[in-house]
Amino acid sequence: MHTPADAPATIAADSPEGWRLERHAHGRLDLIDIDGRCHQDVDVLRAFPVTAPAGPVAVVAADGGELAWVESLASLPAALKSLLDRELAQREFLPVIERIEAVSDTEPTEWTVNTDRGPHRFVVAHADDVARHPDGSVFVTDTFGMRYRIPRVAGLDPHSRRLLEKLA
Amino acid sequence: MTPPAPEIPARAPNSPLVGIGPPWSQGFAFGPDETVLAACRFDLNAQLQFGDGWIVLTNKRVIADEPASAEGTVRAAGGPRSWWIDADTRLDVQLRSAVGRVDLSQGDQIVARWLFTPAKAAAIHALEDAFDARLRGPDGLTEPADLRSTRQQVADASEEEAEEQPAAAANRDLADDAAGTGGSASWRPLFRVIAFAKPHAGMAVLGAVLSLASTAAALVPPYLTMPLVDDVLIPRQNGKDVPFSIVWWYLGGLLAAALIAWLLSWFQTWTAAWVSERIAVGLRTRTYAHMQSLSLDFFQSKRTGDLMSRVGSDTDKINVFLSVNLIEFASNLMLLALTTMVLVWLNPTLALLTLVPIPFVVWLIYAVRERLRRGFARAAVAWSDMTSVLADTIPGIRVVKAFAQEAREIDRFAASNERVLEANDRVNVVWSFCGPVISLFSEIGLLVVWACGAWLVFAGGVTVGGLTAFLAYIARFYGRIESMIRMVPATQRAAASAQRIFEILDCQPTVAQAARPVRLDRVAGRIEISGVHFRYGAREVLHGIDLVIEPGEMIGLVGTSGSGKSTLANLVCRFYDPSSGSIRIDGVDLRDVDIADYHRNLGCVLQEPFLFFGTIADNIAYGQPTASREKIVAAARAAGAHDFILSQPLAYDSRVGERGSGLSGGERQRLSIARALLVDPRILVLDEATSSVDAETEAIIQAAIDRLVTGRTTIAIAHRLSTLRRANRIVVLDAGRIVEMGTHDDLLAADGMYARLYRSQMKAAEEAAAAG
Repeated sequence: MHTPADAPATIAADSPEGWRLERHAHGRLDLIDIDGRCHQDVDVLRAFPVTAPAGPVAVVAADGGELAWVESLASLPAALKSLLDRELAQREFLPVIERIEAVSDTEPTEWTVNTDRGPHRFVVAHADDVARHPDGSVFVTDTFGMRYRIPRVAGLDPHSRRLLEKLA
Repeated sequence: MTPPAPEIPARAPNSPLVGIGPPWSQGFAFGPDETVLAACRFDLNAQLQFGDGWIVLTNKRVIADEPASAEGTVRAAGGPRSWWIDADTRLDVQLRSAVGRVDLSQGDQIVARWLFTPAKAAAIHALEDAFDARLRGPDGLTEPADLRSTRQQVADASEEEAEEQPAAAANRDLADDAAGTGGSASWRPLFRVIAFAKPHAGMAVLGAVLSLASTAAALVPPYLTMPLVDDVLIPRQNGKDVPFSIVWWYLGGLLAAALIAWLLSWFQTWTAAWVSERIAVGLRTRTYAHMQSLSLDFFQSKRTGDLMSRVGSDTDKINVFLSVNLIEFASNLMLLALTTMVLVWLNPTLALLTLVPIPFVVWLIYAVRERLRRGFARAAVAWSDMTSVLADTIPGIRVVKAFAQEAREIDRFAASNERVLEANDRVNVVWSFCGPVISLFSEIGLLVVWACGAWLVFAGGVTVGGLTAFLAYIARFYGRIESMIRMVPATQRAAASAQRIFEILDCQPTVAQAARPVRLDRVAGRIEISGVHFRYGAREVLHGIDLVIEPGEMIGLVGTSGSGKSTLANLVCRFYDPSSGSIRIDGVDLRDVDIADYHRNLGCVLQEPFLFFGTIADNIAYGQPTASREKIVAAARAAGAHDFILSQPLAYDSRVGERGSGLSGGERQRLSIARALLVDPRILVLDEATSSVDAETEAIIQAAIDRLVTGRTTIAIAHRLSTLRRANRIVVLDAGRIVEMGTHDDLLAADGMYARLYRSQMKAAEEAAAAG
């Protein structure tokens, strides 16, 4: 297989259960199960991304079938944990809203925000899509299912906070 | 035709059976060893005219008295007739429309036919049951225990009859009330609302005290103007040297009084709002909690929109009434009383004149009150109808669109909205009339007082200052009366709303918790169904079901639609209670068991899985909100739902819309199976769980169901017989009776109804396979 010289080399990590995760060039992820079968281009995702981001993680095949299940990242061997953390971070595009410039008055609301990935506009269908968490963070889901995070409402400027109060 | 039985001579006076017959059959001579088994009344004669007849069943005879014909002169056969019962005697009851009939036949001859309306159906069915039970009993006689219960029934029946009249009278009272002849009835629901203020009695009393204080403060200013005019302004005008500083004193007093009145009324308004808001919250929660305690039949008889409008908009109207109007009413009343005292004290003659319009006002309130309440009740009903249109069509929007009926639905909504307008218009005419009439009264009143006052000033009976103060008080007096009149509509609106709320609160659950319920922990799951009959209204859908299900056994219920399968499942779930007979769980009658305890042992997977607005995890954990994530995931895995959940954008945290929109039927069904698995029920009811999904999904769901039923007492209803392959026994129902029972192989060998059903389904499947 051709590997560009500047691409990172394959990183592999073994799980205590005996399956193995391999990260290849261009970010392709393979899983070798305990029977030695190789599943190419697998996906990793959190089972409770909102209510328990640190909770269970699933490795699923390209066709959606579950291949492996990790109850908690914290209990994993360091190599696998760092690989999974990296993959999850890559796959979970979760911009952080730093300032809310404007929110339209009528539902569906149109948001103009500044994120850590630059300015952005999106539409939120319903007030229920602005979910507050007890730790003070807020998750906003737009009409396309894209999510945005506000880590600390108290950390926002007064203008943004006022706009957010209107909704949640 | 069998001749009527010969008249039996009058009973021996010492007969032990004296008094067993219902009161209306008394005077009829029963035989010395004749026992009354059942009795009922019927209400139509052969010409379908209403009348009053009765049938009494004894161990020997059927005795009946026909209703008189419309002419009311001659009884059909000159008094009660009777027929001896022998082996050939049959009693058949049929009720297909508004007229039911009881046929008494001997051999293949019908010897008598009686007609009845559905109102009498329950009693007639009881008679039929007693007739059938009589045939089963040894020697045509029922056992003493049964006899006792039928005797009780007879007594009940006659009691019921006795109660019927007063009940009907009570209904008439209600109707009369609504029609406006009732006395103070319209206030009654409002007094009941006040009971909800009890937890906040402290604040309510504070509000009343503040109200009194602010009223008193408001009465001070006119009293200060009197000396200002008489002792300062008029002497000054007449050339007396009065220093202006005195004026300052009076002005200061006036300002202070105004400020105090303002402050007090601010606090008082706030207190009133505080209390009424809490009363409204209490009412809403109580109403909703009470609704949750009511049985399924309540919800089937009520429209969602109507209930929503009662809980939402009617409680709000009461809230407005309490916060704005009630305190205002109280303070007006106090002000009126105080003002009257001041007026009388100032000048009794003038005061008397002021009071002249009062009787007219009272008469007006009286005349208008009932009219308003009826108007507002109508308006509230119209509003409910409008909400019902919404609650009906929004969930059904797909059907509306599929059949392009948007315009029709808009018309329907517009029409109901139009009825709201009409109802409001009618009531507006009445109350808008009141205010101006009172204004007119007060203008005339002022005129009269001015006239008399001027005359008195001329005659020296009153000072100018006195007259000024008097007029100021009178202006307040009429102002209060006016505002009280304006409150009559608000009061009546709130009364109508309160009435609608108490209609819900006064409903009793038909499936009631026993007085001393038997607490259940985890049951073994043995279900004994014995002699269960069930009626929906007048129609009997189950005619005596006997079935024992052992712990862990899976029973497949099979039958055509309308055969009573779902009804039986509903009875096992205790959504309803049997009309007669009993269902026992581990030997305890379901009616004696704590309902919540029982439902904790029960899992249901229904044909139409219902998902609530919330996340997938919330929906799976619905029966056990505290369930751990591991448990939720385990349930989802067992239900074959795990993989598709992981493919949702937020996996277990994905939100499913109302009624699970965004998921396929098979996915929703698997979530509902996971929900049932999570609570780990001992008893499982599957009501056509796979009938709404395609064959491929069915295979996945079937695998999930197979895991679900293992080790649990299961009642599975299925149209597709293939889904019952794991059933230990299959029970075939037809028209409310068990017609076959046994294993799949037994039933095929028996070549009965099940075998026919099975063969036709296999054939259909083969044809489909060949076509596909």
